[in-house]
Amino acid sequence: MEGIREIATIWSAELRRAVRSPRVIILLGLYGLFSALALFLVGWITSRVSAAAAEQLNAQSAPEGALDQAAANAKQALLSGLFDKDASLLEALSKLPLVIPVVFKITLFFLPAYVAFLGFDQLSGEIEPKSIRYLAIRARRSSILVGKFLAQATVVVGMILVIDAVIFAYARLISPDFAFGLLAPSLLRFWIAAAVFSVAYVALTTLCSALFALPAVSLIVNFFALFVFWVIQAVGSYLQDAAAMQAAAAGEEPSRPVLALVRFLSPSAYSTDLLHPEWARFGIGIGAYAAFSAAFLVLGWAILRARDV
Amino acid sequence: MSDAAIDIAQATKQFGPTVAVNQVSLQVSRGACYGLIGPNGAGKTTLFSLLCGYLRPTRGTVRILGQDPRSPGAIKGKLGVLPQDAAFPASITVGALLTYWARLSGLAPAERHAREAVERVALVEAWNVEARALSHGMAKRIAMAQALMGNPPVVLLDEPTAGLDPRIAAHVRQLIREMKGTQTVVVSSHNLHELEELCDGAAILDRGRLMQAGSMAELTARAEEFRVEIARGEVPLDAIRALQGCTQAAFAGGQLAVSFDGRQVPPEEMITRTLEALIRAGVKVLGVSRGRKLEERVLQLT
Repeated sequence: MEGIREIATIWSAELRRAVRSPRVIILLGLYGLFSALALFLVGWITSRVSAAAAEQLNAQSAPEGALDQAAANAKQALLSGLFDKDASLLEALSKLPLVIPVVFKITLFFLPAYVAFLGFDQLSGEIEPKSIRYLAIRARRSSILVGKFLAQATVVVGMILVIDAVIFAYARLISPDFAFGLLAPSLLRFWIAAAVFSVAYVALTTLCSALFALPAVSLIVNFFALFVFWVIQAVGSYLQDAAAMQAAAAGEEPSRPVLALVRFLSPSAYSTDLLHPEWARFGIGIGAYAAFSAAFLVLGWAILRARDV
Repeated sequence: MSDAAIDIAQATKQFGPTVAVNQVSLQVSRGACYGLIGPNGAGKTTLFSLLCGYLRPTRGTVRILGQDPRSPGAIKGKLGVLPQDAAFPASITVGALLTYWARLSGLAPAERHAREAVERVALVEAWNVEARALSHGMAKRIAMAQALMGNPPVVLLDEPTAGLDPRIAAHVRQLIREMKGTQTVVVSSHNLHELEELCDGAAILDRGRLMQAGSMAELTARAEEFRVEIARGEVPLDAIRALQGCTQAAFAGGQLAVSFDGRQVPPEEMITRTLEALIRAGVKVLGVSRGRKLEERVLQLT
């Protein structure tokens, strides 16, 4: 009980500090601007492509409905390239204005880097100048770690909500047939997906921050870890796709190379599951990110507990 | 429950090949004011950090009120610490910072405790000042304030008066005096005169080793030695050496140093007899001081 009280105290103090910190405000602004830029660019490109396709089909005197079919095919192709070839996922995503999944995917790709910039010094920034010593005699080290992690997670999850709301509002603006009945649950689903995704990366940042006394080293190691995860995911996906193509060329059932399974060691491997309409796949995604978050935090706690401050 | 507020047994701390604290064993009684003395690099701050649980001993044990300070939550509310070189966090005012720390220490109402603490260090005007904007002296007093908040039973002060002007240093010494008897206070300082004046006992460290520990009377040999400042006249050394209980008498630099067996002759008796011998010989005396200066003992040992 005392531990929970400590966590709540640290969380609220760190959160107040974070929202007043110039660095956090600047980073929030930059990420918001980046998301807005991606949003407007994707919106502009899709509208231009649609207009060009309509013009071409009209010139060719294409039959009625050909434009819609061509747009739907292009959307499916883009979404399967960005997400997965899973039919039910593509069907669910294709009900939404294209700008939503595309911008969501772009912002999600850069989110881990943003999280690293935001929180790389949450612990190391207190270990280096030894200000953590004032906390360490008043609170358990586990409370310090969890309280700071929760404060960072709150900032990130709050920011994601604002950005997702803006994306959906913009999509509603450019697609008047995007009904509120679909908008509200989709917004909730996308927000939960991004929140769960980002929390795992906040936990990774907390771990990297607990590892070192120098904030710069924490940041470098954090980016190195992100790079390693990205390579693992890319290599695993490549091996999987190569095997699938080989099987298709030979007219055989696609095989699952064991090495391709390595991609499941990367948190990003489960990001698509978070948007899956099937509850089982959604649950796997949530469970995987919860497991990554827990593993990073437990490791961070073990390091902080054992280390000298 | 042990009578010792602090119990260090064979504590060793190594940083790679460097042994910062080497098999130090020490006990500090409850309510005592205890000094940690030694030159730079003696291991005082490392020993402090072991006591606070900031550092894990490589070998040996450290107990504060019977608890391992590294055990989660063990020293919460029991220990106040003035760390030597810990910076304050950025972007927060003194008032908000102290209130936050008071809340974290479980003190209620937190703000009242925080305000009382800044009043104790006579720095009420700093309440709304950004913690990072404080001058060295003000920061030191605020760090002192957080150590005193809630009157913890054990208070560790690492160089509490270093860098303070004489008036503020005197105020800090007065605060330490007020804690004596009710709280156990451990003070590390290079100001040996200050420690001699404040502390009941002390430990002298050098290169990580404990050279001597004991009461201030033991360290300064107050019960076995005294000095007489001589203005003029010929000191009757043979007559003094012949006094009962006298073990040694030497005269140099205008100072007569007399050592004696304190168990055989009480100090007041020995001092009186020596003065009588001096006066009989027509020697003019300027003053008498018991024991040797702590500084001399430290210089002898380190």
